[in-house]
Amino acid sequence: MAKSPEELAKERLARIEAAINLKEPDKVPLWGVGGDIVAAYAGMTQHEFCYDYDKAVKAIEKFMRDFPFDTSMAGLMGLEGRIFCVAFSEFPDISPALSLITGPMHDVLGDKYYRYPGREIDENATPQFIGGTFMEPGEYDRLIEDPVGFVAETILPRACTNLDTPRKAMATWVRLGMECSKFFSAAAEIGRVSAELGYPPFPMGWGYSPLDIIGDFLRGVGTVVLDIYRYPDKVKKATEALTEPIANYALYHKYMGAKYAMIPLHLNEYLSPKLYNEFYWPYLKAVILKLYEEGIKSMVFFEGHHDAHLDTILELPEGWGIAYFEKTDVVKAKKVLQGHTCVMGGIPMGLLVGGTPMKIEEYIKNLLEEVKPGGGFILAPGVGTAPSETPIENIHALIEAVEKYGYY
Amino acid sequence: MQEELFNKIVNMDEEGSIKLAKEYLDKGGKPQELLEVCRRAMDAIGEKFERGEYFLSELLLGGEIFKSIMEFVLPLIEESETTRLGTIILGTVKDDIHNIGKDIFKAFAQAAGFEVIDLGVDVPEEKFVEAVKEHKPEIVGMSCLITAGISSMKRTREALRASGLENVKIIIGGGRVDESVKQFVGADAWSDDAARGVRICKELIGVEG
Repeated sequence: MAKSPEELAKERLARIEAAINLKEPDKVPLWGVGGDIVAAYAGMTQHEFCYDYDKAVKAIEKFMRDFPFDTSMAGLMGLEGRIFCVAFSEFPDISPALSLITGPMHDVLGDKYYRYPGREIDENATPQFIGGTFMEPGEYDRLIEDPVGFVAETILPRACTNLDTPRKAMATWVRLGMECSKFFSAAAEIGRVSAELGYPPFPMGWGYSPLDIIGDFLRGVGTVVLDIYRYPDKVKKATEALTEPIANYALYHKYMGAKYAMIPLHLNEYLSPKLYNEFYWPYLKAVILKLYEEGIKSMVFFEGHHDAHLDTILELPEGWGIAYFEKTDVVKAKKVLQGHTCVMGGIPMGLLVGGTPMKIEEYIKNLLEEVKPGGGFILAPGVGTAPSETPIENIHALIEAVEKYGYY
Repeated sequence: MQEELFNKIVNMDEEGSIKLAKEYLDKGGKPQELLEVCRRAMDAIGEKFERGEYFLSELLLGGEIFKSIMEFVLPLIEESETTRLGTIILGTVKDDIHNIGKDIFKAFAQAAGFEVIDLGVDVPEEKFVEAVKEHKPEIVGMSCLITAGISSMKRTREALRASGLENVKIIIGGGRVDESVKQFVGADAWSDDAARGVRICKELIGVEG
């Protein structure tokens, strides 16, 4: 007999939580894929998916129904809005709402951080974060002295054309609030549909690594790396100054019910262990620990290759959260982190796009043999965004392979 | 002095190496020799990266130092005096607007002696085709960061083929490319790091990498 949605959701949640708590679940949990494929599968453009929430909800529902992962990563499209969270970090009721900036919000802000389909890029292109340089090196002292004030009053008017005068800003913030409210209605609808389809609630908030705020939103990713060599003391002090506002906004998600915090990293792969341990990790660690003390487990997405920094994860308390790896070999990572940290990842997106069902089955079989023992592992795509042309049979093959080889 | 400059560049002394390069020229040093020192230094940085001693941050700064020195060295060198390994048409493929990886690769490819024609980001298939027809490069380098770029690379490969431009070698690069992506695209080679990418380009045209 088919399981009821409630039973299914309970089973899936138990599976994921067992892995996070470093135990063996009934079956290896399979984290979902999302990305451009969700809109493409429903036959709509990326523009429609980004700008028409009703259509997007329908596309997400169809994807969730047809591809039964243990979680759904098919969600409303938004790009990282953490600079706004920092700007509003003195306001717990507002700050978390700006974690993601959707297409309509991007239009309201007139910002230079994002490129949305049907706006700056083709209607079928992926929405992209591009960042930029909005702060001069001579301004580090201002950032150090008053990080929130500097971001709110100096950076945002530079980065957003519709905030560049106080009068325009008044209208923009009101409009943004209205957009947030539409977004939350659509998100609530997805919550309802998810429950109907047997997906467990997985209340996740957001955090960020302090140096990434400077790289992504203030100085530019490439530029901040050069700044580390050119103005090391300033960069370090600025990173330190940003740590508290970031930890605060991340914590506000708790008041909205979050039990987990997603922290996607960007500069980790760029830095040598020496630079990582001096400019990046201490501040990221402080954010993770603050959340952990408050009962929030972090899911840290270690972008790119994190091999050189793996051991630093052991400095965190056992069971602190989930280490989600993109290109780091999860077999190796699991050996290092066994019994200490739940490891997540393992499926290269290239395989899903360019492979065949047979190759995928073979790959999953071999990988699971290595990583299953002892539990504490979540199988996930190295990067969760599947492009439009991802062969549908490959996604089915992935789900079937886990059904075949995933049981303990 | 050449050895000192080499060491300063490899050891990431940005200010010191630029100052010393200027001094070298002021004292009557040959620009051509200066260029060779810089090239050797970039090669050494690439090797250190491949050995895991250096990281992206060093590639970025190394590229910056090279570019800064080239700004005042290249105008002093006659075109006929420079060695050219070959030409690379380079671009981030359609619907992807990321440039960091492409730009790091470009600096190292130029340092290695390639002429690089950079088409920029979000480059449509037809622009690659036109550029290949015009410049007749040995290599086309396609870059992408986001996964959507994988499909654009495949379409660009097909467009080149459809235009009868079969002979040009294709290398793809970027954070999310691997062997499966290479096969999917139909490229000749792939790399997810700039240093290895340049070495492979040399191999593709039959120069020892």
